[in-house]
Amino acid sequence: MEEKQLVRLAQDGSQEAFEELVTKYQSKVFSMAMNFIRNREAADDAAQEVFLKAYLALPKFHLKSEFGTWLYRIAINHIKDILRKRGRAKEVSLEEVREISVADENALEKTEMERETEARKGLVQKSVQGLPEKYRTILTLRDIQGLPYDEISRVLHLSPGTVDSRLHRARRMLRHKIAPYLSQEGGSHEL
Amino acid sequence: MNCKTAEKWILKSLDGRLDEPSRRLLDEHLSVCPFCRKAEAEYRSMLALLRPDTTEAPLPRFWERLEPRLKEEQKVVPLVLWERWALHVLPVFAALVALAAGLFIFTPQALELSQSETLLIENTNPFTETRSLFEEKRPEARSMMLIFASLEDKPSARRQLP
Repeated sequence: MEEKQLVRLAQDGSQEAFEELVTKYQSKVFSMAMNFIRNREAADDAAQEVFLKAYLALPKFHLKSEFGTWLYRIAINHIKDILRKRGRAKEVSLEEVREISVADENALEKTEMERETEARKGLVQKSVQGLPEKYRTILTLRDIQGLPYDEISRVLHLSPGTVDSRLHRARRMLRHKIAPYLSQEGGSHEL
Repeated sequence: MNCKTAEKWILKSLDGRLDEPSRRLLDEHLSVCPFCRKAEAEYRSMLALLRPDTTEAPLPRFWERLEPRLKEEQKVVPLVLWERWALHVLPVFAALVALAAGLFIFTPQALELSQSETLLIENTNPFTETRSLFEEKRPEARSMMLIFASLEDKPSARRQLP
């Protein structure tokens, strides 16, 4: 069934239609929450609350945008609220991250290269958490969630030019944070 | 091309948004600029590390856990809707009551007319009723009639019946 039809049925009170929408988007909403919250249980709870909010707001949704875009907007706002309540995330020490990642018990069973990759992944993901909120959000939507530029523009209510420049700045900031750990030679060059 | 533009184009290229002529210019710059080559390698590596290997799934039985919460909210929603509705309607209702009270208070009431005024309005001779009084020959009867006539004008002077 087409998504718009599912939305209309859900608006008319069909639980089955809403269940289909939840099934389609639950992983995306959860992984978005996970990228910001970094805790499975809390991210799962946040994802549930996002769908709860969407369900209650469904009568006000006039299908002017895609359901997914509308849902992402609810998710982003809800996650921002959670983070605001928790207080600003602390700047993550890169050395500490490296230690945690390498000390991962599962990593010990893997090959040297796999362990190195996992350590770097952990480092990069943790470094994203240390970015200012607006840069972290846009980087998560584009480079982790893989949303297209035009959808990011609609979700965040930003012009395409702002999306472009903000994302550029976010990537630049992140690269400067982790550059020493990305290449063996170390050091970075100010462009 | 300077390194600042090159950096922008590197990121556009990694996003697959750089057109072919610009791509060729960038390649030319990269072939002579070791700093931008390093930057490109770092960005490529960073973006690869950012992308998740698999899409993360929520905890099991996501819908089964969500459904009772939706049903619970459904029970609360009519109450919330009523509260919202009442919130909008109550001030309007209060304003209407105030308006009605104002109209009632400030509308001029019909004046109480005296007997003679009533008779005049009705275009009746006010002396018609008193004619019998003047025509009465017996003084005792006339006095009694006068007393009763005066009592009719002052109802408060009468003794109230239990």
